[in-house]
Amino acid sequence: MNSGPTKEIRGFVLAADPAREGCFTVVNTDDEMHEWPDMSEISRRERIHRHMNNETGAMEIAAQALVDFPEAPWGLRMNLARQATDEARHADLLLNRLVEMGGAKGEFPIANFEWGVTNMLDNLPGRLAVQNRTFEAGLIDLLGTLRDKWRKEGDHATADMLESILADEITHVRFGNRWIKRMTEENPAILLKVAMAVRFLGKAIGSMQLKPGETNVVGTVWTEEKLRPPAVNIEDRLEAEFTMDEIKEVLSQAGFRTIIPSALR
Amino acid sequence: MGYNTIRERADAIGTFRFISVNLMETLARWVPLTPELEAKILFGRHIWDMAQHADGLGQRTSELRAPLHYSARPTDAYMKVLDTLAGLTDTAERAEAMYAGFLPDLEKRYQAYLDGTNQMQDEPSVRVIERVLSDFQRMQADYRQFRDQRPDLRPKDKGWKSRFESIAKAPADFIAFRPAPPQTLERVSS
Repeated sequence: MNSGPTKEIRGFVLAADPAREGCFTVVNTDDEMHEWPDMSEISRRERIHRHMNNETGAMEIAAQALVDFPEAPWGLRMNLARQATDEARHADLLLNRLVEMGGAKGEFPIANFEWGVTNMLDNLPGRLAVQNRTFEAGLIDLLGTLRDKWRKEGDHATADMLESILADEITHVRFGNRWIKRMTEENPAILLKVAMAVRFLGKAIGSMQLKPGETNVVGTVWTEEKLRPPAVNIEDRLEAEFTMDEIKEVLSQAGFRTIIPSALR
Repeated sequence: MGYNTIRERADAIGTFRFISVNLMETLARWVPLTPELEAKILFGRHIWDMAQHADGLGQRTSELRAPLHYSARPTDAYMKVLDTLAGLTDTAERAEAMYAGFLPDLEKRYQAYLDGTNQMQDEPSVRVIERVLSDFQRMQADYRQFRDQRPDLRPKDKGWKSRFESIAKAPADFIAFRPAPPQTLERVSS
C-alpha cells in the first residue's frame, strides 16, 4: 500500500485528498453530496460540476502515476502523459460549460473517491486495473447513457461535449487493457497485484456505498433502481478492447454501478 | 558552441530529452499539489507536450548513434536549477517560473543549437526542435490566458525576483559532453 498521507472514512483508509482551492467543499461520501435525480437547472449544473471534479481527479491520478513510476516503460508513460492532458482538457471543457450554464466552481460539494482508492496502491498494474480498467470503463457505460439523456433534454452542446469525452475515455481504457495484458504476459505474478487491487476497490466500495432507503443531504433517496448499474456500453467497451467474455461478466455483476463516478448519474 | 560531430549532437539532443522528461515530471508533480483549478489545468495540458518533445528527441538520439531514448543528465549547475523549479510550492511562482522564466531560457538554448549545428546534415534534429519551439509559443500563450483568468495569482514573496532570476538565467553550460571515444583520441595523438 501507498506510504503517502491518508484519511480514514468509515473505518476505511484512503489516500488523503489532492489539493483543492478554498471555494470547494470536499466531502467523502455520497450522502454528503448534492445530487438530484431530475434534470432541473440546479441538477444539471451539479452533474457538470461533479463531472468536472471527476475529470480533475483522473488528471491527477495519471499525473501522479508519472511521478510515482519513473521506471515504467516509456510507451506507457507516454500514454499516461496523454491521459493527464486529455483529462485536463475535459476538466477545462466542463468548467467552461458550467460557467455557460450560470454555475461556478465550488457551487456544490465534491468528493475524491477515485483518487483516494487508486493512490493507495503502490504498483502501476494495480492502478491501471482500478483507474483505467474499472473507473474509466464505468465512465464509458455512463457517458453512453448520459449523452443520450442530455440530447433528449435538448441540450446538444452538452451532449456533443460528452460524446467527445467518451471517445477519449475509450482510448484510456484501451491502453490500460493493453498494458495490463502485456505486463501479465511478461510476468504472470502481476495478476496477483491486479487481483489484490480489484479486491481493495471492492472493499472500499462496500464501506462507502449507500443502501436502499438512505438519503443524501438534499433529500434524494437511494432506491434499488438508483443502485442498479448503468446500461453496459457494449460497442464502446469492445472498442476499448474488452473481450466479449469480460463484457458479459460486467453485465452479470450486480454491484457494478457503484464503482463508477456515481456523480454523473 | 558548434555541434559538429555526431557525438556532440547526440549529447545535446539527449540533454534536451532529459530536460523534457524532467519538465513532464515537474508538471505532473505539481498537478495534484496545486489547489487552483485553472493552474492545475494549465500544468496538466502541457504534460503531453513535454512527453512528445522527449519522444521526438529520444527517437532522434538513436539516429545519432546513441541508444534509443538516450537521456543525458545536464551539468550539476543546471540540475540545481531544474530541482529549484520542481521544488517551488506557490502556485503563482510555479507558473511564472515555468512559463516566464525557464521556458524562455530553454528556448534560447534550443535556438543556440539550431544556430550551431549543420542545418543539412542534422536536418532531422532541426525539424524536431522547430516543433518544440512552436509548442513553447502556444504554451506561453496559454500562460498569458491563465494570467488573464487569474489576476489574483501573482508572486507576492519579496525574495521572488532574485529567485526568479536564478531560474530565468540558468548557467550557460548545461550539456555534460561525454569524453571523446578512444579511437578518436588515438587518432588525435598519433
